Amino acid sequence: MSLERIVSRVTSNQSRKLAGIAKYRGYLDEQFCQVEDLQDEASPNFVEEVVTLFFKDSGRLMSNIEQALEKYPRDFNRWDTYMQQLKGSCSSIGASRMKNECMSFRDSCGQGNVEGCMRSFQKVKREHAVLRQKLESYFQLLRQAGPAGAATRPVM
Amino acid sequence: MRAAEERKGVVPAARRRDQFPVGMRVLAVDDDPVCLKVLETLLLRCQYHVTTTNQAAIALKMLRENRDMFDLVISDVHMPDMDGFKLLELVGLEMDLPVIMLSVNGETKTVLKGITHGACDYLLKPVRIEELRNIWQHVIRRKFSTRDRANLDFYEECNKPPNADSDHVHGHVTCGSPDQSGRPSKKRKEYCSEEEDEGEVNTQDIDDPSAPKKPRVVWSVELHRKFVAAVNQLGIDNLATTYMKYRLYLKRLSAVASQQVSIVAALGGRDPFLHMGGFEGLQGYQAFTSSAALSSFTPHGLLNSPRNNPAALGTQGVPASKSIQTMSGSHTLNHSINDANKYHLSLPGNQKGNLGQGLATSLGQTQMQQKWIHEETDDLSTILSGNGLSNGMSGTLQSVTSSPLLPQELAECTQAKIVSQPSIRTSSVSSEHIEGAVGVSSGLLESRVSQQSTIPLSGFSTNGLLIHGSFNNTCANKLGGTSSSCAPARSSNDLMVARDTKGGASSFGGAMLLPPDTEQKYLNFGGGNGLKQKFDDRTADSLFDPKFVWSSVPSSQLASNIGAHHAMSQRWNNSSSNSSNIGARMIGQATSSGSTVIPQMKTDFLVSGDMSMPKNASDLSIPCSFDGLLNSIVKVEKDDVTFSDDLGCGDFYSLGACI
Repeated sequence: MSLERIVSRVTSNQSRKLAGIAKYRGYLDEQFCQVEDLQDEASPNFVEEVVTLFFKDSGRLMSNIEQALEKYPRDFNRWDTYMQQLKGSCSSIGASRMKNECMSFRDSCGQGNVEGCMRSFQKVKREHAVLRQKLESYFQLLRQAGPAGAATRPVM
Repeated sequence: MRAAEERKGVVPAARRRDQFPVGMRVLAVDDDPVCLKVLETLLLRCQYHVTTTNQAAIALKMLRENRDMFDLVISDVHMPDMDGFKLLELVGLEMDLPVIMLSVNGETKTVLKGITHGACDYLLKPVRIEELRNIWQHVIRRKFSTRDRANLDFYEECNKPPNADSDHVHGHVTCGSPDQSGRPSKKRKEYCSEEEDEGEVNTQDIDDPSAPKKPRVVWSVELHRKFVAAVNQLGIDNLATTYMKYRLYLKRLSAVASQQVSIVAALGGRDPFLHMGGFEGLQGYQAFTSSAALSSFTPHGLLNSPRNNPAALGTQGVPASKSIQTMSGSHTLNHSINDANKYHLSLPGNQKGNLGQGLATSLGQTQMQQKWIHEETDDLSTILSGNGLSNGMSGTLQSVTSSPLLPQELAECTQAKIVSQPSIRTSSVSSEHIEGAVGVSSGLLESRVSQQSTIPLSGFSTNGLLIHGSFNNTCANKLGGTSSSCAPARSSNDLMVARDTKGGASSFGGAMLLPPDTEQKYLNFGGGNGLKQKFDDRTADSLFDPKFVWSSVPSSQLASNIGAHHAMSQRWNNSSSNSSNIGARMIGQATSSGSTVIPQMKTDFLVSGDMSMPKNASDLSIPCSFDGLLNSIVKVEKDDVTFSDDLGCGDFYSLGACI
């Protein structure tokens, strides 16, 4: 990221630019911007609420999948159904990289490829962890900046 | 603060209603909490009133408690406690609310499933706010459908004769009907004016997938005019396709596949339109190019055969170039008379030079019809004779057929075609049909219904007239101009009718006009059988009346034809089909004025039609003294691609010979 962009990010009051950075890197996409746009005076913490909800729900879904992978070997339908739920959540907040891994998991299910499913699932977990870190940092910075902290937006 | 209020869902009811879509009450169902939360906020941002639940069971419970609590439901497809499609169905059935499906799965088959289960829309996750801003339209649309349905019910209550239905179905749906939805009537009125769809066939009903079966609509003059207007506007060439596309579009909008009901209602005709709309089927006509089909066309078949499906018509062989043609075929048959003028107008595309061709194509569909018409109507004779044709008719025909059709030509045409394939006839018929279809069909339909008894004849005459016209085109060149003589229905009632039909073809008794197939398939007009019977009854005597038919044809020729005619008639008689009888009748009736040649031709046609006359006229033992005619006919056919395909010129010759 060039200095100019960082500066513009910092000076810009629009958090969506930050999301844009994340988007630039692929972790978050346009949908995240939309979520951010929904935040307003009436819901000042909307983004954080949604993100928190996401990690909570996705954690649950992922452990479901993990169990299913173990408990129901080769039950691709089941695996696929669970993963579809997770994919839905990812797309709702714009977690694009994680969503892509979900999709490749589903592809493996469709092919009946157990090994592929296992590999994809590991990737899903990894992306999930990375995203969590990034968003946590993001919110931390937002909080540090304070409610009026438009000037300093966290760079993801 | 308003935003806060709305966020909390506290929007004053009054304000909500007045400011629709602001305040529209949405019920959102999704087991995914993240999605649900985002969706809720998006909806609130659109200023809707939102209620959420993550369980379909709870949603149903809420809806059942008070269906008026919500305007719209948005539901996820994949939910653990209940399949989204199931919820969709239940809501649609029980509460008749619009339901929008949501899913991360955008596969075509899934979307299709949603549509077929009645979803009024299908959104993919993640949903964007732009998409949600327009969802209120589904509420309005459904309201209109409800309103229309209510109106229809209302009208039904104040019941009038069936004919009246067409009027009200057709476009008198107003906001005045009882407000059955319970919504403030004000809201209805707001949208009423937007929805009135006066100028066209009432398709509003189509939108409502769950509308109860609409009352049958009987063709009325009004409906007919509108139909003609629609066809004129669209152009014969594209009518069917355009209409089909529109229908498909409506299907997509429609939640449930009960379109047939609504379509029927909208079109106003149960059978006719069901069959027609079979436009789908009609399009199949185009595929038909086998002349064999024509030969298979038997009056009997036309009238009776179970092939009364449009397909049957199509099989006639004449490739239905346009669905319209098929349409027209079925319809025009009836109306050919009246709307000769219309035909002319409406068939701009087809009129290229060779009416026959146009006819042929249309004939493809209507071949049956045409054949039937031809057969039934001794009109051919009248046509050929050109006497009977009312000026109007003749004129029309002429217009259609660019070149004046000599009676002889007509006779030739008809004759030639008669035997093997009424293609010529059909062509003429088709032209009739085509033309008629547009305008006449409706008329015919009417007439059919109303006047079965009289119709047949008139139908013939009309057809005769039209046929005449068509022949004119094809044959005119050949014959050179006795077109005027082709005055159909000169003195015969048919002719008269034909003229009358201009006005409304009602007299045609559509029954006759419609090809047997048409009758059976499309209309209950008098029912094909009815017609047939009529014919049988009526023309038993007149069958062989030499007067009929080819008034314009040289008497000498006619005479011989007549003789042949008789022979043919015999054959007809032999054939079980009524159509042949009808044809005979037509002939008899058509040519009160006199030329007999034509009638024979007609009978020939009829015979062939119904007797499944082999293409080879040789089977016909009718001596043909119209070599000249045949030649011209054949020639005409050749010009007319469609014809030639179907007709098998060779047959004509033989036919002529037979005659």
